[in-house]
Amino acid sequence: MKDDKGSTGIEGTHPSSVDPSSVLRPPWSVSESARMASDAEARFRIDAPNAKPKRVKVIALDRPSEAVVKHLARKPWNGAAFFTASAFAGEPPAGSFSMQGWLSDLAGRTKDLIDVVDTADLVVMVATAGESAQAAALIGEACSLKRITTTGLILGGASATDEMLSKTLSQMRPWSLMLVIASAVDYIEDMLIALRA
Amino acid sequence: MLRKEQNDLLTQTGPGTPGGKLFRSYWLPALLAEELPGNDSPPVRVKLLSERLLAFRDSEGRLGLIDEFCAHRGVSLWFGRNEEAGLRCPYHGWKYDVTGQCIEVPSEPEESGFCKRIKLKSYPLVEFGGVLWTYMGPPETQPPLPEWEFAKVLDTQRFVSKRIQESNWLQAMEGGIDSSHVSFLHRGDLNSDPLFRGARGNQYNLSDSRPVFEVVESVGGLYIGARRNAENDHYYWRITQWVMPSFTMIPPRGNHSVHGHFWIPIDDHNCWTWSFDYHPIRNLTEAEVAAMKDGKGIHVKYVPGSFRPLANKDNDYLVDRAAQKAGETYSGVEGFAMQDASVQESMGPIVDRTRENLVSTDNGIIMARHRLLRAVKALTDKGEVPPGVDPAHQKVRSAAVVLPRDQAFKDAAKEALLARPGVAPASV
Repeated sequence: MKDDKGSTGIEGTHPSSVDPSSVLRPPWSVSESARMASDAEARFRIDAPNAKPKRVKVIALDRPSEAVVKHLARKPWNGAAFFTASAFAGEPPAGSFSMQGWLSDLAGRTKDLIDVVDTADLVVMVATAGESAQAAALIGEACSLKRITTTGLILGGASATDEMLSKTLSQMRPWSLMLVIASAVDYIEDMLIALRA
Repeated sequence: MLRKEQNDLLTQTGPGTPGGKLFRSYWLPALLAEELPGNDSPPVRVKLLSERLLAFRDSEGRLGLIDEFCAHRGVSLWFGRNEEAGLRCPYHGWKYDVTGQCIEVPSEPEESGFCKRIKLKSYPLVEFGGVLWTYMGPPETQPPLPEWEFAKVLDTQRFVSKRIQESNWLQAMEGGIDSSHVSFLHRGDLNSDPLFRGARGNQYNLSDSRPVFEVVESVGGLYIGARRNAENDHYYWRITQWVMPSFTMIPPRGNHSVHGHFWIPIDDHNCWTWSFDYHPIRNLTEAEVAAMKDGKGIHVKYVPGSFRPLANKDNDYLVDRAAQKAGETYSGVEGFAMQDASVQESMGPIVDRTRENLVSTDNGIIMARHRLLRAVKALTDKGEVPPGVDPAHQKVRSAAVVLPRDQAFKDAAKEALLARPGVAPASV
């Protein structure tokens, strides 16, 4: 299988029947792709901001997630805002139903869900496996209405059983464009940094 | 985005670097077995993880992977004579065995024992599944041999190729777990490439261009599920496997072979893209093998006498703007492999991740980086064995399945995501 000339450096050797003259250019004619992809050309890249800060809204859906989100909120962010819907994780209140009563900031002040969503580029919903994530439906509905992208994060942890995970998943799946099941809490921070939140 | 120091940590894999230590925890594919076809065949230069090495098969069939340069005056042993159970430097006749031990220094009296004091660095090299594998870490932590299913099937059920990619390994690997690019960059090839066309699953891909993603941690890496609408309250799921540090397995289509990749650093600016196709329960057909050799599917045509793709950056990847305009190819570059490589190489040797703007659908990439960084830290700080080293983590399969909407793919496709000898892959 190998020719009898041995290797040609890191490129190794390989049989082929294609005429090299049909594809190789003389050395003085270096292609644009070869020149522009070089390390030397990297220094000419424009050094200016290429995006405006994203408006990321992070919403805890249950009590354990609220503790995680509160911890995250203390760190420096590029405009990310943190909320909780944990007080409303149970069945929707009978009678006078309102979207206004479904969200609060971390100081406990009630927020209008539509207002929060309306000023977001991305809504991240954080849930804990086994906990109720019913609030995801209402938040997801609001995001759908406003055409806002949603990401669902489910904190699995070692103690979460498949059954617990399935329960939370089934509530989150219809409302998340991207769903992540993470075993470590520090993933949320890494994800928010990666998204420039 | 990644901070510069994080980017450096993951992209630098030379000796002494944290990222290099991670890669040196695994058995890595080093050469195709056909590159050392017989005893005393010509030695082959190998550069891996920024180390210049030389591979040879001696007169007794033993495999060696040793420092490329003679300990005497630094001559490349690529010019060496592979004969009589050793590799002899052509300059002054110093001779080495497959362990790098010098066994003859003609200018010194044999009884002086001088040659016993000369030993080149060497690594184990073993043949398995048509590939020569090496382990470049400390001998005391050498893991058991790998258990990848593609390497365990009969030779007639498998095709393996490799190509040089002129970029850092990480940006190449990240393309393998970025499922959302398929609907753009590879649009047009699904129904024309002989190794993809005809599968029922292709229609789901083409009829629902807005997949929804689920990223789930596995013991060795990640499952990356992409779901699309199917009939009667069902979803069509394509589940990619990523096993640390750089193995990916693409979900199959119909009765086509299953395929995947390894991305192995040559140095910080180049990597090997290994590509394999196999079918767990049948031989590959002559037509399939012919298509793979012709560069179809995930394979490439080569510049003669090398593993460099025929379409490469020196010829602008043979970009065809007319084909792009006509919609035959999305980027003007032909073939899955070079469509990927061309855009990844255009980022420069090491992409500056401080300037990128990731979006929600990039969570597979974000999670992979997170796990790699976590593993590097655990290995460096506590000596923890990274995920993917244990052969049990390697007994995996990708899958394409149609499931009821209320079922989690991780549970419903649990069996389908494991390598099961003699069992057909889950495919649509």
